[in-house]
Amino acid sequence: MNESFRIAQKLGLMFKPSDPLPKDMQAWAISQLHAPSPALGQPHKFATIAPWPDHLQPNLKKRAHMWRLYRENKKKERERKDGQDTQVAKEANRRNNLMRDKDELKFAQRNVYGDDQLRLRFAAFWANHFTIGNTFDTSSMIGHAIDEAIIANLNGDFANMLYLVTTHPGMLTYLDNVWSAGERSPHTKRCRKRPDCQAGLNDNLGRELLELHTLSPAAGYTEADIRNAAMVLSGWGMDFGASTQDMLERAKTTNHWQAFKPRYAEPGLKKVFGKTIYAGKNGLKQLTDYLAGNEYTIRFISTKLCQHFVSDKPKRTDIAYISEAWRQSNGQLDVIHTAVIERAIASDEAKFIWPMTWLFQVIRLSEATFFKGWEDIYNYDDDIMNTQKIFAELGQSFWSSRQPDGYSSKKEEWLSAEMLERRIRFADAIYNIGRVKHSTTKIMDRMGANETTRRLVASADSRRHKFIALMCSPELMGLSYV
Amino acid sequence: MSKIKFDRRDFIKASAASLFLAGVPIAGYTKDRPPGNIAVILLEGGMDGLTAVPPIGDPDLLRMRASMTPTDYLTLNPFFGLHPSLANYAALMARNEATVIHATSFPYTKRSHFEGQNLMEGGGLSPFAEKTGWLGRALELANLPGRALSLDMPLILRGHNDNDNFFPASIRKSKRPNANLVDMIAMSHQGDVGNLFHKVAKKSANKVNIPRDATSLAKYAGQEMSRADGPVASVIRVKRFDTHANQVADDGKDTHGNHAIQLAIVDDVIAAYREGLGDAWQDTIILTLTEFGRTVAANGTRGTDHGYGSAGLLAGGSITSSRVIADWPGLRKQDQYEERDLMATIDYRSICAACIERSLGLDHDKIASEIFFDSQLPRLYDYVFS
Repeated sequence: MNESFRIAQKLGLMFKPSDPLPKDMQAWAISQLHAPSPALGQPHKFATIAPWPDHLQPNLKKRAHMWRLYRENKKKERERKDGQDTQVAKEANRRNNLMRDKDELKFAQRNVYGDDQLRLRFAAFWANHFTIGNTFDTSSMIGHAIDEAIIANLNGDFANMLYLVTTHPGMLTYLDNVWSAGERSPHTKRCRKRPDCQAGLNDNLGRELLELHTLSPAAGYTEADIRNAAMVLSGWGMDFGASTQDMLERAKTTNHWQAFKPRYAEPGLKKVFGKTIYAGKNGLKQLTDYLAGNEYTIRFISTKLCQHFVSDKPKRTDIAYISEAWRQSNGQLDVIHTAVIERAIASDEAKFIWPMTWLFQVIRLSEATFFKGWEDIYNYDDDIMNTQKIFAELGQSFWSSRQPDGYSSKKEEWLSAEMLERRIRFADAIYNIGRVKHSTTKIMDRMGANETTRRLVASADSRRHKFIALMCSPELMGLSYV
Repeated sequence: MSKIKFDRRDFIKASAASLFLAGVPIAGYTKDRPPGNIAVILLEGGMDGLTAVPPIGDPDLLRMRASMTPTDYLTLNPFFGLHPSLANYAALMARNEATVIHATSFPYTKRSHFEGQNLMEGGGLSPFAEKTGWLGRALELANLPGRALSLDMPLILRGHNDNDNFFPASIRKSKRPNANLVDMIAMSHQGDVGNLFHKVAKKSANKVNIPRDATSLAKYAGQEMSRADGPVASVIRVKRFDTHANQVADDGKDTHGNHAIQLAIVDDVIAAYREGLGDAWQDTIILTLTEFGRTVAANGTRGTDHGYGSAGLLAGGSITSSRVIADWPGLRKQDQYEERDLMATIDYRSICAACIERSLGLDHDKIASEIFFDSQLPRLYDYVFS
């Protein structure tokens, strides 16, 4: 592959045949960090590309309201009230009040049509680093977290993103913090006067904040550090279905992203990994700022960035380069991402491409259509599968019920006969229904395909087989450039 | 709740099913035995052994975790009960076809899911030390094939080229891949990836359409293992055991707590394996594997946090006498690991080793040194299979 396509594969989502190729790839890649980033998509398949409509992108308050309505209707459904137990009403409740289908399609479409391909790749990295798995209760919040906690803050600093993700209701719900209360909090003390009381600490988010989001186990923190982190977090978050009145009474706000319940918070000082943290709402920012700047965090995440964008087996020098950019800039994401871009461009190693990234790249390279239009989300289509089903079959989705460590960037975690068969099947489906606009020859010429790829494609006996062969070549799977 | 109260000393005297780990490892060669089957059910998230197999005779159980212990458990013996979700499993125990290992774990005490899962599958001396899995290495030594019922190839089965995986596909408007095309793609890829594509080419001849739930996959796996040329090992995942919240129902009849739901899946998976295996059940051992147990006490959200000791569920015709094998550590604060978790007194690697020895006919010393890289690993075969 020529330099343009090699860089677009490693760091972006590939050039569409209609995209002009930049002259200076490194300058282009760095400028992409500030590319305008509207979510682009199609209202119907094969329609003109347009920005995703506002009414399908509700804010957090509206999402919470919809979630409450959904729950109320489900209750009526169980009680067989107001006709909510009919199929039509059940379906309407799902369509009107749940956001997963819309959010997942929007994510897919913006990746296929977006002019901000590098931003989207970095967004995917962070959305995976800060995994919010789908527990159903989180299903209407995952998309909001990706858009508002991650994409909207890609040009800020890591500490800010860490704080915004940690306090996002999606994360607070996914890792059970919304139900946690300090052992010595007023709420727990009062509750424990009753025999059937259930109140106290839940350490789930505290543990993963240290293990997965910041320090990593290499730091050697203790169980006491985890517990203290959980105590700092106690009081944060409200159930997404809480009423406005309940929100005001307990958290004195109706904003779920700001919901801190003083009566559930552990009083007093806490000590986490050597740092003293004060009681109260501001303690968490103190903690996340401290963790964000810690040397273990810097090394851990610099290594992950390298593994995702540069090489499965990153070189010390690459990790050191990115860590140094992190230290020098106090965690400015623009500077860190620029360092990643520089190292990825300097490396001539192939980098394994995630299944979902590969899918977006195949669709872009051939200018095919493979996802439904936003107006057609709930309409049956003979050809196009539901978005949820596409990603489930592919084996990768940010809306799946995955574990909090997210997806590995290493190829050995993705290599199995079934996984490889899916690549062939999806390439086939895209060719068959996507109205692929460009021949394999044209695609190969533009990207400067290597001899292995050309021989493979030449050996295939039909246009369809040539397309599958090209997309499943070592080169386009990011497995080998020779 | 049972009126019978045992203290730990009484229990050890009374229960023939208990085990003291005082014995010297017994040397033994089982090479001549025809190979059987081995199936592993991975319980991801950390199963709570005290919920699955509550030690109802331990006077500290209710003191330490009243809210976590349902009243409708099944009674195995005066000391141990079984969660009501495991009704099929209880019937297997009654038929001498299932055995519980309690207060057990892989030797990992740090309570990270991801380190723990890596260690329980890799079977090395520390997390992330091995690129292959213990079952993969066992199959490599035995030169017999295994199969994962998942889209990915789990670490536990890596390490033997003949191992493969299966997961039903349903991709609209795509045809079964043409074998010639796939072979050409395979040839363009290097090493392992090329080999995997060749497997795709071979596999695409027979299409299997089954649902993707763990139970359907287990039945299919059992059928495949029962074939003379089928795999001798299989691996299935059951997720969502990480119940920090709402682990048990709040009405004393625990049918809809989060652990109850997952345990019912495990119960169904074992039943489905039995159905699929048919006569091959007689030579099969099924075992569960989980990365760790959970805290003895409930946390503040009707759940439990990550702990150390858990329980393992074994089933299959290879078992001749049902037992609860445990060197019970007790539940008092001072008996707990770091005053919070169930202590593990049995190294679960020894149980895995016994299952390998029984099903694949490998010698224990070879298993210990070449599969678990620990020549001192105690041999517990006779406790499980005699």
